[in-house]
Amino acid sequence: MMQGTTALWNFGVVTQNIAYLLAGLEMTILLTVVSLLLGVLIGLLIAVARMSRFAALRLLAGFYIDVWRSTPFLAQILWVFFAFPILTGIPMSAFTAGIVTLSCHASAYLAEVFRAGIQSIPGGQRHAALALGMTRLQAARRIVLPQAITRMLPAIGNQAINLVKESALVSVINLQELMWYAQSLAGFTMRSVEILSAVALIYAALTLPQAILVNYLHRRYAVS
Amino acid sequence: MFDNLPTLLDGLAMTCVLTVLAMTIGIVVGLLVALMRLSPWRILGLPAHGFTELFRTTPLLVQVVWVYTVLPLTIGVTLSPFLSGLTALGLNVAAFMAEIFRSGITSVDRGQNHAALALGMTHAQTMRRIVLPQAVLRMVPPMAAMWVALFKDTSILATIGVVELMYQARYLASDTFRPLEIFTAVGVIYFLLTYPQSLLVNRMYERFRVRE
Repeated sequence: MMQGTTALWNFGVVTQNIAYLLAGLEMTILLTVVSLLLGVLIGLLIAVARMSRFAALRLLAGFYIDVWRSTPFLAQILWVFFAFPILTGIPMSAFTAGIVTLSCHASAYLAEVFRAGIQSIPGGQRHAALALGMTRLQAARRIVLPQAITRMLPAIGNQAINLVKESALVSVINLQELMWYAQSLAGFTMRSVEILSAVALIYAALTLPQAILVNYLHRRYAVS
Repeated sequence: MFDNLPTLLDGLAMTCVLTVLAMTIGIVVGLLVALMRLSPWRILGLPAHGFTELFRTTPLLVQVVWVYTVLPLTIGVTLSPFLSGLTALGLNVAAFMAEIFRSGITSVDRGQNHAALALGMTHAQTMRRIVLPQAVLRMVPPMAAMWVALFKDTSILATIGVVELMYQARYLASDTFRPLEIFTAVGVIYFLLTYPQSLLVNRMYERFRVRE
């Protein structure tokens, strides 16, 4: 696989192995998209529980959020992959562990985004809607949520960017995404300079358009 | 588990050292980068912009591994895992810090700048007396949040063999064949240390909230 000149910065090694990097990229994108969708779903449930009338639910949801937000992602992925199966007897593939950890991690941050977005709408609007005879569900659907969602969009975009970057860490449990392929190829071809630089650029190319979109959303939906 | 507590505490000490040093590097380099970006000369502004974008758009793990393996091969400098990890972490923090400094300074209403200049202050006086005192207050909460994130991010250096808390945990987990107990204990340690800091950050956001 290694051939040609031994000079530095021989990017031929990248183009020769592009199929591996693309396979890794595919996994990175799959992990990000699935975890973002699951994270939004779980995050919504947690946010609703966090704002519930029942103190027990509020406490439980708050604890869930704090645990996932106050521990390093690396500790989480290792715990889910190595400790959780021992605790419960449920076997975990690297892929399942990766999806579960990324989704739960994102859901904790997203739950706070949803809560902040909903609570940022002045209570007077909801009261007015209820006074006009809308049910609580109607008030939420027609008045509060449409305004809250536009305020949440930039923060959700930021979470998507974070997921792309955090997914690199699931390479430590041998889940074969972009960073895993990068490190294997770097060792195998002995051209870590080119491989790792190329992979850094691939990540940048993946997140930069998202960052630009987030900036646009920030300006577009700025609350004045 | 409790027999191995000293090993974990050793790692914890290293985690704290890394956090303090990386934060220091981050503030110094970040300030420099922010000033370059705010300067009227594009020759300074462009590289500073490139630096922040590069470090903010790539995963920290990639940066850490890149510094650790690529620097020795390209410029012939061989750094220990500790030094290369610290370099990568410090530069990563610097990129985020630069944005915090920059947005803090630009968030101060421009009218104040103009008013100060109209009153006859020099640019330096305007900066020192009017803009910076307000900007610094706005930078405090995001800087504290950055500190908390950094405390957690130091764990990534375990992957290149820096002997901090997470490294010790992985070592003990495979050494004792007790991943459940060790990883749970480490999760609890991180939680106990990070959670009070997050509470403090929340209080800071309340305390320093800007009303205009």
